Amino acid sequence: MDSTIIMFFSALVILLIAMFHVAYLTYAERKIIARMQQRLGPNRVGPRGLLQPIADVLKLIQKEDIIHPGVDRPIFAIAPLISLVCAASGLALIPLWDRFVLSNLNVGLLFILALSSLSAYGVILSGWASNSRYSFLGALRASAQVISYEIAMSLSLLSVVLMAGSFNLQDIVKAQLSTPYKIYLIPQIVAFFVFMVSALAETNRVPFDLPEAETELVAGYFTEYSGIRFAIFYLAEYFGMIVMSALAVTCFLGGYAGPFEVPGLPFIWFLIKVYAFLFFYIWVRATLPRYRYDQLMGLGWKVLIPLSLLNLFVTAFIKLLV
Amino acid sequence: MNWNILIFFYLALAMTFSSLLAIISRNPVHAVLWVVVMILHQAFLLYTLGSEFLTAVQIIVYAGAVLVLFLFVVYMINLRKEERWKVFVSKSSYGFIIFVVFLYLFFKNLAFLTALNPAFKVQLTYDLSQGSNLLWMARYLYSHYLFQFEVIGVILLVVIFGAVFLLRKLKEVG
Repeated sequence: MDSTIIMFFSALVILLIAMFHVAYLTYAERKIIARMQQRLGPNRVGPRGLLQPIADVLKLIQKEDIIHPGVDRPIFAIAPLISLVCAASGLALIPLWDRFVLSNLNVGLLFILALSSLSAYGVILSGWASNSRYSFLGALRASAQVISYEIAMSLSLLSVVLMAGSFNLQDIVKAQLSTPYKIYLIPQIVAFFVFMVSALAETNRVPFDLPEAETELVAGYFTEYSGIRFAIFYLAEYFGMIVMSALAVTCFLGGYAGPFEVPGLPFIWFLIKVYAFLFFYIWVRATLPRYRYDQLMGLGWKVLIPLSLLNLFVTAFIKLLV
Repeated sequence: MNWNILIFFYLALAMTFSSLLAIISRNPVHAVLWVVVMILHQAFLLYTLGSEFLTAVQIIVYAGAVLVLFLFVVYMINLRKEERWKVFVSKSSYGFIIFVVFLYLFFKNLAFLTALNPAFKVQLTYDLSQGSNLLWMARYLYSHYLFQFEVIGVILLVVIFGAVFLLRKLKEVG
């Protein structure tokens, strides 16, 4: 019973820390993009606008929750929660430290893939339940996009699994540390490239944000949402970014390990690496234009999947020889 | 009554009712969603039996891919007329006969009562202390069942070829 309580509390702590990160990720995104576009960004609420995320959250909670009469009520209500739960529960499987992982599953990597494939439901259902043309188009785009890029992502991660010989994320980190380079980024650079591109597509971020392309579809699948439900979708997207970054760190950058130990701060290297990836996400958003839909499908099916398959074959062959 | 049996009964009931609701629902999207609920429960049932790999694969393949494609198809076709039909099948007596046959088979086997028996135990043909469930599954698949495994691979390849062939024909015609 004790272990259950400890587990519950550590889950709560991780969730709170992740929430804090999500809140300040929105702030960081606005500030960094503003800097890249030679603007100031938020600077009114608190010193340097540091309290802006809190003000945003308070505002979104206060707003009226509008549900127009044409919607399919139960599905409309449950869709944002599906998105959030599927995006956030991936955090439980990431090894944050040598001795700290919430759930050390034997098939941890597969579970993260399963959760990311389930998160498509939130988008698809919200688009359908909203009973609106724009939402529906966003949902259709999302379902095709997520399915296509999931294959490329799984195949790229499979070559990591082949190298480590395990689906367990803790074991993958340990296997990396026993290699001469300490990270899989160098031998698996192709897989890393494929993974990063498909992670952008899985989280519906620029340049693959077609399901929510505001210049074409108003806001895509969450056009009809307002108030707290809208905030939950927003939260889910940023949670997705954090989980994908953490997964990239775990599978390609040696997880929690760093060049040297920092006394008293065991998580520091993990956090630094995750921040680097989050910065990459934001940087991409400020730099690249949106893809056209047929280009997106072409890239997924004709470039990324063959590339990751080839990489998988080469990895398996080398593993067989060595 | 221990926890395992309670969990098993919950899962069995939830699976039965969600599959019933999947058939009864008038709205095709709701029907697909009830199948998703059923598959998630099924995945959890596999997890309680100690098969983590099958749980993950069940969710990835069925809930994550197959049913999303089903939803896609349901979105694409217009079912407004069918939604207003009173009954789908006019001869419900045949359905009743089939139902009785299935009920007979169900009570004849009574598999769920064996789970209540305290002496009942799942017999594993492998030793979990010698390696995880995943490892054992891989060992069996690539040694004992290698031929069947390869045959399934070839069948799936044929299915893909068939789909491409049908698409080609459609394009040539229209």
